[in-house]
Amino acid sequence: MKKMLALLLCVLMLVPCFSFAQADEKITINVWSFTDELEGILNTYYKPAHPDVEINYILYSTEEFFQEKLPTIMASAPTSADAPDVFALEADYAKYWVESDYTASLYDLGFTDEELATAVPAVVDFARGTDGTPKALSWQCTPGALFYRTSLAEQYLGVTTPEEFQELVADWDTFVETAEELNEDSEGAVKMFNSIGDIYKPFFYQRATGWVSDGKLVIDPAMVELMELSKYCEEENLYNKGTQWEETWYYGMANDTTMCFFLPTWGLHYTLKPNAGGAAVGEGTYGDWSMVEGPVGYSWGGTWLGASAPKVAEMDDAKKAAVKELIEFCTIDPEFLTAYAKESGDFVSNTAVVDAIVAEGGMPNDFLGGQDHYSAFAKSALLINANATTGYDGVANSLFTDNALTPYIKGEVDMKTALNAFADQMAATYADVDVTDAKAAIEAME
Amino acid sequence: MNRINSKVDYSRYGYMFIAPFVIAWLIFGLYPIIFTFRIAFTDLTYWRLDEMQFVGMQNFRNLFDPTNPISTNFWSALGNTLIMWLWNFAPQIIMALLLGWWFTDHRLNIRGKGAFKVLIFMPNTITAATIATLFYSLFGFPIAPINTVLQQIGMINTPIEFFRNVDFSRGLISFLQWWMWYGNTMIILMAGMMGINSSIFEAGMVDGCTGGQTFRYITLPLLKPILLYNLVTSMIGGLQMFDIPHLMTEGRPNNTTNTVARFIYTQAFTGSNNFNVGAAASIILFGIIMVLSVILFVLMADREPKQRKVK
Repeated sequence: MKKMLALLLCVLMLVPCFSFAQADEKITINVWSFTDELEGILNTYYKPAHPDVEINYILYSTEEFFQEKLPTIMASAPTSADAPDVFALEADYAKYWVESDYTASLYDLGFTDEELATAVPAVVDFARGTDGTPKALSWQCTPGALFYRTSLAEQYLGVTTPEEFQELVADWDTFVETAEELNEDSEGAVKMFNSIGDIYKPFFYQRATGWVSDGKLVIDPAMVELMELSKYCEEENLYNKGTQWEETWYYGMANDTTMCFFLPTWGLHYTLKPNAGGAAVGEGTYGDWSMVEGPVGYSWGGTWLGASAPKVAEMDDAKKAAVKELIEFCTIDPEFLTAYAKESGDFVSNTAVVDAIVAEGGMPNDFLGGQDHYSAFAKSALLINANATTGYDGVANSLFTDNALTPYIKGEVDMKTALNAFADQMAATYADVDVTDAKAAIEAME
Repeated sequence: MNRINSKVDYSRYGYMFIAPFVIAWLIFGLYPIIFTFRIAFTDLTYWRLDEMQFVGMQNFRNLFDPTNPISTNFWSALGNTLIMWLWNFAPQIIMALLLGWWFTDHRLNIRGKGAFKVLIFMPNTITAATIATLFYSLFGFPIAPINTVLQQIGMINTPIEFFRNVDFSRGLISFLQWWMWYGNTMIILMAGMMGINSSIFEAGMVDGCTGGQTFRYITLPLLKPILLYNLVTSMIGGLQMFDIPHLMTEGRPNNTTNTVARFIYTQAFTGSNNFNVGAAASIILFGIIMVLSVILFVLMADREPKQRKVK
């Protein structure tokens, strides 16, 4: 009797382990992501329009996703039932994945060049494989702009319009001159920018060559220029000496200590606006901002959608069409993008949608004192040059900041030592990057 | 049924009870260890398991080649780890011994012992991630609590960039390790102290031992096995130090707070995923820990006088 009871209990305990297969006609698509933004899009827009598709959405943190989950599944079991059909790619890591064989060509999914032509060119170009095949698409374009404090600009620099301010920051030399003037006039109370991280991205997009070219490390002159300019600003106290995403940085957004912030589209809505110290004109710095292009066009962040090549190779036509429809709906579909742009204010990647919104009068933003951020970003989007981005950027940028940029501007080491330390760390971190030429170039520097 | 002759073999139930653990350990414990030894002799990078080739001792040669930046990183990380561990361990064992002695000494009979023990143990219950983040923002720059307070009370005129200072960064990590673990060590030492037969203490009292003498000649020698246990576990834990340096300073400034575990992690999980180097470094770390443990055991072992052979 006892044995029977024990057996029964054992069986009962095992029951939850086996889920009973359900007879279901639905197509299931596994979507792996690192951002809840995509989840929102799928839940609010995609699912109601596609009741016949079951989305199996899995969310990881960014680091976990790109350093563990995605590489592991792709290396071990890319075609298993749990493996992703579609995955989201973050700007810093996207290049590695689209250049690998793991991401399917968009042509294999059935996309045509005409369909791709509707997107902002920089968005498609960013996600091309080594042979130029487009591999991923994005619903957003993330051009960066320069946001400045209208009242402080008028008080210390005597400018009243964005056009006038743009002249004061047209290139890096005038930018530094303006910073010096501002520092003197305000007696050090207001600084031109808050952290070195703020000017990093613009310089980064000014490079002619990416960090790694043909397997060799390249230190572009723009990065050396960044080091020198940063050191000058450090010594002359021309910035707040904050760090991005830390106390001093946020303090600068809500108080009269910082003139400019370099932020992209999402930075306006998710970073600057919530941290401005108020939610209506007159509260905190709300309404006291304007935006201009700044010294150089750049991009910051963004999420791309790609499909898993091993999975696509095994899919039947119905599933392939469903995967294509998913990516197309989220990244190209004009109806969805128009609705999404109006609801979220996000800057979308479809040029026709952007033009239509701009033609309708754009999106006057009371946070920007009535300025239309949509047409301003539309201008900035065309300035982006994404040709120097590589799959090494995420790691290379933090190694460069920690080993070269910061020690150099703090006066701990000289230029050659700093750059050599960075080259050494790149060699230690990437087994496939040759630093010999880069080190020779550092030695040859004056 | 013949009750006398029938034997129930209870041992097989024992095996059944430990089976789940053993099976799980074989799969998730032993197999990865064996696999680590295997990949240390290959060129495995970028998760390319199917292209893995055996390269003999190459990874170990790289780790011992002073011109190779990988080697420089590894040995400096080992040095950092030892420095930060020593500065945490020495105060920790002294503090734990002292507190343990006070709390177990019948003559002192401190009031509110329970409350003190809980308070002292408390930091150990907070996760390292929380502590790292908390102290990182406390000592931020230039607008952050400590800098603001120091400026307001007039101790400094301009904010200090704490985390650019090597000694401060290492010191803070050692302090946090100490603060988190001295309560734990104290509890273990107290358990050891309370396990000492009280009649020995009474005998000491009868013979007129002072408190110091009791501690020096009775408590310490009898506590030796527990101290050895503490030393070895703390050394193993200390050489594997990862969470606080990784979350608080990320090895900054200039890799002076980088630890061996962080080195292994960054080799294996960033950049080109150099699992080969990470595995080789793990094996070297394993070797170092083993050698140091053996040395400790030999040094601390009871040296009983050899018995004379009676003919």
